[in-house]
Amino acid sequence: MSDEAELLPGTLDMLILKAVSLGPLHGYGVLLRIQQISGDALFIEQGALYPALFRLVRQGLLKTEWDRSENNRRAKYYELTAKGRKRLQEETDWWNRSSKAVAAALAARPQEI
Amino acid sequence: MSLVAYFRSVSARFFRRAKIDNELETELTAHIQLHADRLERSGLDRAAAERRARIEFGSTERFKEECREQLGGNFLDTLLQDVRFSLRTLRKSPAFFLVAVITLALGIGATVAAFSVVNSVLLRPFGFSNSDKLLWLYSQRSDNPRTNFSLPEYCDYRDQNTSFDGLAAIASFNPSLSDSGEPERVQGVKMSANAFSILGIHPLIGRTLIAEDDKNGAESVVLLSYGLWARRYAKSPDVVGRSVNINGESRQIVGVLPSSFALPNLDTDIVVPLQPESDPRRNARNSVNFLRMFGRLKPNVTVQQAHAELDSIRQNLHRQYPDTYTGKIGLTIVPITEEIVTNVRSVLLTIFCAAGAVLLVGCTNLAGISLSRAGARQRELAVRTALGATRNRLVRLLLVESAILAIMGGSLGLIVEMLGEGALLRLVPTDLPRIDTFAIDWKVFLFASGMTLLATFACGLAPAWLLSRSDLRDALVSSNRGSAGGGVQSKLRIWLVAGQIALALVLLANAGLLFRSFFRLSSEQPGFDPTNVLTVRFSLPQVTYADRAAIVQFYEKLQPRLAALPGIQNAGLVSILPLAPKSISFVHFTRPDQPPSKPENTPSTNYRIITPDYFRAMGIPLMAGRYFSEEDNGDRPSVVIVSSVLAKNHFPDRSPIGQRIMIDDNDAEPRPVEIVGVVGPVKQSNLETPARPDMYLPLRQAHKDGVPFLRNSIYCVARTNPEVGGVAYNVSQLRVAMRNVDPDVAVSNVRPMSEVLAAALASRRFSLLLIGSFAGAALFLAAAGLYAVISYGIQQRTREIGVRLALGATRGRIFGMIFKEGALLLGAGVAAGLVIALMLASFVASQMYGISERDPFSFAVVSLLLAMISLIACWIASRRALNVDPIVALRCE
Repeated sequence: MSDEAELLPGTLDMLILKAVSLGPLHGYGVLLRIQQISGDALFIEQGALYPALFRLVRQGLLKTEWDRSENNRRAKYYELTAKGRKRLQEETDWWNRSSKAVAAALAARPQEI
Repeated sequence: MSLVAYFRSVSARFFRRAKIDNELETELTAHIQLHADRLERSGLDRAAAERRARIEFGSTERFKEECREQLGGNFLDTLLQDVRFSLRTLRKSPAFFLVAVITLALGIGATVAAFSVVNSVLLRPFGFSNSDKLLWLYSQRSDNPRTNFSLPEYCDYRDQNTSFDGLAAIASFNPSLSDSGEPERVQGVKMSANAFSILGIHPLIGRTLIAEDDKNGAESVVLLSYGLWARRYAKSPDVVGRSVNINGESRQIVGVLPSSFALPNLDTDIVVPLQPESDPRRNARNSVNFLRMFGRLKPNVTVQQAHAELDSIRQNLHRQYPDTYTGKIGLTIVPITEEIVTNVRSVLLTIFCAAGAVLLVGCTNLAGISLSRAGARQRELAVRTALGATRNRLVRLLLVESAILAIMGGSLGLIVEMLGEGALLRLVPTDLPRIDTFAIDWKVFLFASGMTLLATFACGLAPAWLLSRSDLRDALVSSNRGSAGGGVQSKLRIWLVAGQIALALVLLANAGLLFRSFFRLSSEQPGFDPTNVLTVRFSLPQVTYADRAAIVQFYEKLQPRLAALPGIQNAGLVSILPLAPKSISFVHFTRPDQPPSKPENTPSTNYRIITPDYFRAMGIPLMAGRYFSEEDNGDRPSVVIVSSVLAKNHFPDRSPIGQRIMIDDNDAEPRPVEIVGVVGPVKQSNLETPARPDMYLPLRQAHKDGVPFLRNSIYCVARTNPEVGGVAYNVSQLRVAMRNVDPDVAVSNVRPMSEVLAAALASRRFSLLLIGSFAGAALFLAAAGLYAVISYGIQQRTREIGVRLALGATRGRIFGMIFKEGALLLGAGVAAGLVIALMLASFVASQMYGISERDPFSFAVVSLLLAMISLIACWIASRRALNVDPIVALRCE
């Protein structure tokens, strides 16, 4: 567990949108997908996923549908809406910009100033 | 945020709560099961896998709650919870609930009622387009700023001015109207045909006047007012095109005017064209002044410029015709809307403010009660804080509670107002301009909602403020019930009560001043004896009553019929009844031995044409000389009777009896008349102003130029013997007698003279009644507030009082202690109230009669009254303290 990073505040929504953008998923599937695509590097409290999912549904970024899971359990599937796709794009851009800026700042060496 | 998704989310919260809970349960269970499946595949047995999955997931209940909070409409949901909770709390204290709702219903109801009248009279748009450009014009004389113009004068102003987009003339015209129904005397006007385009008034149906109507030989037309149309023709749309008989002349109805149509100081049942060009007086410079004018300013012309231009036209006329225009020293120019409402504005606004003050006192009272309730509830509120409620949430709870009360009170007030519309209108004096089109419209609803909101904050803010200041943990820890914040709370309550007393005093002072003015005025002698006198106004058809002889003939037929009636003692005719609204008639005269130094100083006097028995019927006393007799006819020298005011002003040196004066009552030269009698002064136009000079002429000697006016307006007054037949019998006898002389004569309602006198006081009675009841309500509420604060204080100090009593304090001492507190409060409130009342006094100065608006007597009496009532409230409250049994008080904990 020690190699798992704490999630930065505010990034959970972005990660959920990303996970769902690759195809409709149920809640547990979202969790697995995030762990998979982050190379198991991020720790997510399982229950905390659901309030975030509800919030994204209320904002109209996700839509839901009940379906059967691969091992035949009834589960709620989340899917990205057009608005959600747009938001994901915006958030990705923002993240790239700011992380690049922070990385550049942290990489600064005394002789470069 | 997508609105659709949001509303779906909101509806999920409110309407599909159970389903959502179910789905959440399924979803979270599925998660745990799926996780367990995965763990199972990695080698755990099923039971262990499920346990592990559940542990790793965390508390499902917590996450479910967090999910629900993510649904939309969180604010609304907690609000609904607050409403439900407040309703439960209020149900538990029905007495408070009832008192609060009734207080607010009365306060809001009164304010809304006053507003609806203000709205109808002052705020509702006038029917005119761009009414700020419309000016109303009078000719100004040295003794009267508002007199009329003559026809040639009007035509000069109309043709020579460049400031106005049209200048119209208007004359009052009160003919009889008959068609298939009974003939009726109507109040109307003659207007130049350009009047309606100047006013910007469009017809309700048909058309208004057009330029052709003023042309020579045009077809005779008439317009009906909305009121007459509704009253006489039951709003039938096919009246247009019908013919009616106006003063014996057939006229075609061409249109109906909208209900918003109103003119200053003129009643308008009908409108007929003036036709100035074909009038015989068109070029008679010395002809009678009977026109008022109004005009619409051109866009870039100011009132001052227009005034200057008209005044230069007047000076030119003066130079051209020095004899005719000397008395006219200027023009009085008033915006038309001002002219319509100016007399009632201050009265209505006073009433409105008084109603608002009652509402304020009521709210303050409730705020006081809420404060004590908040104090008593502090423990409850503290417990709620401990359980996680934020302070904002608690403040909101208290505001929700007062909002519920305000909304219920406001709705109740509005309902009463709508049901009581008829009663309200009966109370309002009928001469209030524009009140006949009174309606409760959206503005009234908007105002009521605003008042409700205001009441919510006025009642709820004080307790909420207190709550936000006090440390609620103290309340929880402290064993002493409701002591936290007690100091602030009771100080606030005392301030509130002092404020109520101050407001109540302001209202009482105003009521006191109005009361004294009213009684000063109603004890004024009008100059006649109104008891047992009946009056009736009638008009004579033009065709059959063309000259004086015909009118005299009518009188000669009527007189013996009236004399034969057993219930009638004396009966006479008069051209204008004293205190009859909106009628003026005056004449200029000179003493030949004392010609006026300057022509504009020519004195004027009220001018009345009467029959000999008029003075006896009205009870106007003879002071010198003789009354008229039937022998004062056209063959004898012309005689007049003057009032003692005229005698005193113009014959201070000798008795006027036998003196000759010149009166200017015709279109040609002034004519000589001889004074044969002096009678007592009569208040002709209103009770407020002192009696002006009067001059009376006998009907049999009336000048032929006055006949048209006499035909339009003539009153019969009869002194009756109430012991014979009763009033109703005499009224019907009078009507029958007139009908028998000539069925074509239009007779108005028979009114007792006492009613005419009362009508002259009606608007004062109205404001006195309203302000008086508002003041009474405020007095009651303030006394109740004082009572509540004193008894609350006593309740808090039961233990202390018990100890004092046990230690041997006399009841008198305890009594004095409580009394001192009440008296201090009262003193502060009264002092503040007096200061406010004195500051506001100048606003009501115009409504005073015979007393100063700072009348010390009124102020002293109402202060004493307030003090007395308040001390009684104090006394009742403190009696409870004195009945405390020391033992019980000490145990009380």
